[in-house]
Amino acid sequence: MPKEIYLVKVGMSMTEGMVSEWFIPDGGEVKKGELVYALETEKVNLDVDAEYDGVVKHAVEVGVTLKPGDVVGHIYEAGEEIPADGAIGDVKASSEISITDDVVSNQKAPEVLAKVTPEQPVPVKSDGRIKSSPAARRLARELGLDFQMATGSGPGGRIIERDIEALAGSKPAEKPPQPARQTTFKVSPLARKLAEDRGIDLAYVKGTGPGGRIIQSDVENASQSLSSQSSGLAVTAELGSGPKPGEVVSVKGMRKTIATRMHQSLMESAQLSMDMEVTMNDAVKMRSGLVEEWAAIGVKPTYTDLVIKACAKALTLHPMMNSRFSFDGIALLEEVHVGMAVALPEGLVVPVVRNADKLSIKELASETSRLAKAAREGILGLDDYAEGTFTVSALGMYGVDSFTPIINQPQSGIMGVNRLYDGMDWEEERIVKSKKMNLSLTWDHRALDGAPAAEFLVEVKNLLEAPYRLLV
Amino acid sequence: MEELNFDVLIIGGGPGGYTSAIRAAQLGLKVGLVEREELGGVCLNWGCIPTKSLLHAADVMREAGSAASLGIELGKPKFNLKKMVKRSRDVAGQLSGGISHLMKKNKIEVFFGEASFRDKNTVLVGKQVFNCENVVLATGASAKNLPHIHSDGDLIWEARAAMTPAFMPKRLLIIGAGAIGVEFASFYRTMGSEVTLIETMEQILPAEDTEIAEIAKSSFIEQGIEVLTGTGIQSLQKKKNKLAAEINGSYATFDATILSVGVQANIEGLGLEELGVEVDRGFVSVDEYQQTSVDGIYAIGDVSGVPCLAHKASHEGTICAEAIAGELPLPIKKERIPGCTYSYPQVASIGLTERAASERGPIKIGRFPLLANGKAVAINDTDGMIKTIFDETTGELLGAHMIGPGVTEMVQGFAVAMSLETTEADLMATVFPHPTLSEAMHESVLSAFGRTINF
Repeated sequence: MPKEIYLVKVGMSMTEGMVSEWFIPDGGEVKKGELVYALETEKVNLDVDAEYDGVVKHAVEVGVTLKPGDVVGHIYEAGEEIPADGAIGDVKASSEISITDDVVSNQKAPEVLAKVTPEQPVPVKSDGRIKSSPAARRLARELGLDFQMATGSGPGGRIIERDIEALAGSKPAEKPPQPARQTTFKVSPLARKLAEDRGIDLAYVKGTGPGGRIIQSDVENASQSLSSQSSGLAVTAELGSGPKPGEVVSVKGMRKTIATRMHQSLMESAQLSMDMEVTMNDAVKMRSGLVEEWAAIGVKPTYTDLVIKACAKALTLHPMMNSRFSFDGIALLEEVHVGMAVALPEGLVVPVVRNADKLSIKELASETSRLAKAAREGILGLDDYAEGTFTVSALGMYGVDSFTPIINQPQSGIMGVNRLYDGMDWEEERIVKSKKMNLSLTWDHRALDGAPAAEFLVEVKNLLEAPYRLLV
Repeated sequence: MEELNFDVLIIGGGPGGYTSAIRAAQLGLKVGLVEREELGGVCLNWGCIPTKSLLHAADVMREAGSAASLGIELGKPKFNLKKMVKRSRDVAGQLSGGISHLMKKNKIEVFFGEASFRDKNTVLVGKQVFNCENVVLATGASAKNLPHIHSDGDLIWEARAAMTPAFMPKRLLIIGAGAIGVEFASFYRTMGSEVTLIETMEQILPAEDTEIAEIAKSSFIEQGIEVLTGTGIQSLQKKKNKLAAEINGSYATFDATILSVGVQANIEGLGLEELGVEVDRGFVSVDEYQQTSVDGIYAIGDVSGVPCLAHKASHEGTICAEAIAGELPLPIKKERIPGCTYSYPQVASIGLTERAASERGPIKIGRFPLLANGKAVAINDTDGMIKTIFDETTGELLGAHMIGPGVTEMVQGFAVAMSLETTEADLMATVFPHPTLSEAMHESVLSAFGRTINF
């Protein structure tokens, strides 16, 4: 009988995982102790090795989400007949197995043929140096691990990044140890200033600059791990490595939410978009005036703020755009709460400016900057997300001229803000330079038709072109 | 057939390669270095160094021309082009010989020839086979041609021909106003050529802060250089011993043209593709320790991406050697690499431009004109400005942009400041010596916070 290779369970909290890479190709030979596949879960990456000599047949492809205990392949011993491709039986239902140092599951585990790579003697070069890649050493340092404890799986036993990840994964997935308090340390002036501003105790920050000096990036890393801990996000084992071509980025967390909601929005409603050019000369003038005037009190209105204000005002005049569609009836909403899309490294959040129509531009600008800051720091409250009736999404800072934003359900419209550019106006027979910006409106055709939607857009345009009306 | 084993084999003996070799040797590794032309690379033989000899000659020529204003009567200075070029070649030769000595001193074996990979740990040079645990690509870059205009060494020059001219062109067209184009424009203008400098971007020195580039442009125009920005060349035809160039729909004749439109990485013929070494937009992709996508193969300097500067190459060479030896060096920060242009006036900068900094967040900007600097007035060279950019909230020095006499030597002050991560407070608390041009650096910092004294 061929021996089964299972998706191993790492830690009690693991509910799903996948084979992220087969180290032994389908039909390839494996020796006991050699790495067979790479396991990827939400929390860790870990390399798994074989317990038997033989020929490996894959039962699943890379990237398929499975439960722990599922069969991912088989090992055929010498003399066993190896079936042709596709002849392998179904993937077995999962059963609980556990192979960590944690509390052992009390359910009966099937025979585990693959297990976590045991610690093996470290390959040492004849001159005493341990072969390891710089990236692996960096990762080890970031994770607070001794890279020499890892088992090298690179060419010639060299320790590479995945070995450090495996080492991290084989340890109980606890939070990193609290760094020791230092009594004396060197620190750069900028790092000291940043630490003061962010309330970070330098005595606990590890310096990576020349001579162990604490530098800017150390403080930034410390404050990042602090904020991710306080917001309850799991610290993953993939610190500091962005996705590279050829990798598969798993869809989870914020990515999964965005994917589901955007797709759902397009399936559920009848969305279409239109663009309109707005002359921004007066808005530019007014904004720079306000920026200067409010510099002392630290309020800086953005163009997006002006658009939010203009939309809010226009929404009070065009209630069909401020509505919630249902086949039982279109509910026209009494209050105007405008959501603003904020991009984060891990995705997108849409905090809401409540009663945006009733706020002065000064109040609105302070509120949007508070929301954006809170979003970036991951400290938005539930209230900050709730009850949006319309959304404004800005891509102008990337030089975008036009796009088709997707409605944030169950709203009926979303306004895209594009870049400000030098356009032209006719003055008699002369062409003059003029500041322009396009607005991109997406609306739900189920709720309202093109004509009323265009009227709303014109209203917003008129408000931005005569922006004093936003002040009253 | 000879087989040799190395811990590190470095391909390319330019400022990146030879520095990396020495650092690796210092750390006890067995190092070999392969070079296909001359030790010292383009920088030392055909770039930074010989052009500095020529530009120094131009500076002396200019100063001699204005000596009368200082009360020195010299008459009109004359130059001997042949001697000037010969001296620049001698300087390059002398320094290249010096590197040869450094290689011996550090017990680095040097091989001359073209290198290619057999596999990731085996490199072939002629009939020699090298087994190497690590390979460092330091092959540099070469001057680019335009799709419709190729240098021919006769009347259409790239940098190499432009620094060894056989004659002084009466009318010279320079295509591309990056650092190289601008330096040649300065040299040839000082020597009396009528120079036209064209650039497709909207500003000359496109990598520099716009305000500084504009000052440089006005100064060049004042010196009689014709500067055309936002302008490309449509065609260039050789007619007898002249060149007819079509620019903006009209034709102009020139005696010679210099093509200075950028560089491309030297990645051909090594066999990188077969090894799976990732290349992005013509440059080899590396991680923060200069390792390529293939374990054990590293790339430094021009071949690993912009900015293509010798000091970036040598610093990356050091990082890469230390990483190979098992240390964890501090990775290079690209925004802390200074850049220098040795035109007249000189331009030097480090860090973010005003535009880039303002996109990042609120900033404070300081400016100090050399007109208000005592030393600049005394030496009769007041055309210039020091501009500094700070992060408004943290006081981090984000950028420094300088134009004027001596700025290429002074920019290191800001480089040290940035490397030590000083804030505006430390710079303000530093005592600058009087009377020096560097006082303008201090004043610029003060000015960013509304505290300037002498302006």
